[in-house]
Amino acid sequence: MKLPAVSPDAPPRNVAGRSTSITLFTTQKWWGRFWMRFMFTATRAAPKTLEAMDGLSFISFASWSLIRELPYNGPPQTVRRLRHPHLFFEVSFNGSWAQYIDSSVRVLTTGMYTFWGSSRRFPGPLPAGPFQAFFKVHEVDCSHYYCAYPEATVTIVRSALRLEQRLDMFAHRAANLPEERFDAAWAAFLEDAQLLL
Amino acid sequence: MRSPNVAGRTYSLMIWTPIRPGEQDALRAYLEGLGEGDSPLAKLPRTHMARWIVVPDMPVAPGTDLRDPLGSHFLLFTANLDGDVDSYLHELVVSIAEQAAAIWGRCVGCPQPAEGAALKAYLHRNQVDSGVAFAAYPQASVEQIKGALDKRARLVDFVVRAQEMAPGERRREFLEEFGGS
Repeated sequence: MKLPAVSPDAPPRNVAGRSTSITLFTTQKWWGRFWMRFMFTATRAAPKTLEAMDGLSFISFASWSLIRELPYNGPPQTVRRLRHPHLFFEVSFNGSWAQYIDSSVRVLTTGMYTFWGSSRRFPGPLPAGPFQAFFKVHEVDCSHYYCAYPEATVTIVRSALRLEQRLDMFAHRAANLPEERFDAAWAAFLEDAQLLL
Repeated sequence: MRSPNVAGRTYSLMIWTPIRPGEQDALRAYLEGLGEGDSPLAKLPRTHMARWIVVPDMPVAPGTDLRDPLGSHFLLFTANLDGDVDSYLHELVVSIAEQAAAIWGRCVGCPQPAEGAALKAYLHRNQVDSGVAFAAYPQASVEQIKGALDKRARLVDFVVRAQEMAPGERRREFLEEFGGS
């Protein structure tokens, strides 16, 4: 199968500040509907299976669904049940489209087989080129994409949340410190918190 | 076992609505006209991320026999939000009533006028569950994140300013800036 060449960047409407979105539908093999349901159940029962994704530190939100039937609203809607089950995947992340694919396939190689192995035409995660083409072919673009904190990466958000806890504790302590001891405590606080700034 | 739509305190919402025949281009143009800075979704303070997509058909690899026609264009709305979906949809039909009417009012089966409790029920009815959802900071709300980012920025600014301050002044200024936090 010949797949088209891939542009390394996401279209502007898939981007909000430093956050980029991907939305994907892939057609499932006949056994995909059983496999994906099993995977969803297993992942919900043991969320630690997503720890590798958590460790990537550039994915803020992601979700997967199996789409076989669409809500029916009466005529003129004609289709309710699809011919094939489709895996829906959406993700929000920091960085470029190509960086996302490249980093994901290198770090989550096993997970890629788990989640995409039941998709038709899945070429395997490596080398990254055919996998990028697989993503591009099955992607749909946003008409509008929104991020509430577009300039903050996942790392910045996590750092800010941890920093806030330490800052609040230090501020509470500082209120009770004598003036002559504040500078030493301030220096110690900065040393402790410098990686979060 | 957790709900398929939930990751920590966040909820992954997905709504599929068929677009009335002939309305898809106007709807796409309207959505594309919602500038990033002026996004109506900013009026929904529990929204982390959200997207509107006009889906013409399920994408398939070229040269395959996997085509799966949807019969009409569909509007897909997804959002990662804090808390429960019921109160969120209530806020949506109230806080962005004008835009919600302009968007879902172009969809099959949407109540006319597209507003209030009837629109909320329509959106509920067209929700599709996720299989599994992931959030990088599942316990943090949008409000907490924005607050933490603001405090971090103020601290960075204070660290620079504090270098020029006299001892004593530094403590006073610090407590003034962060003492009530």
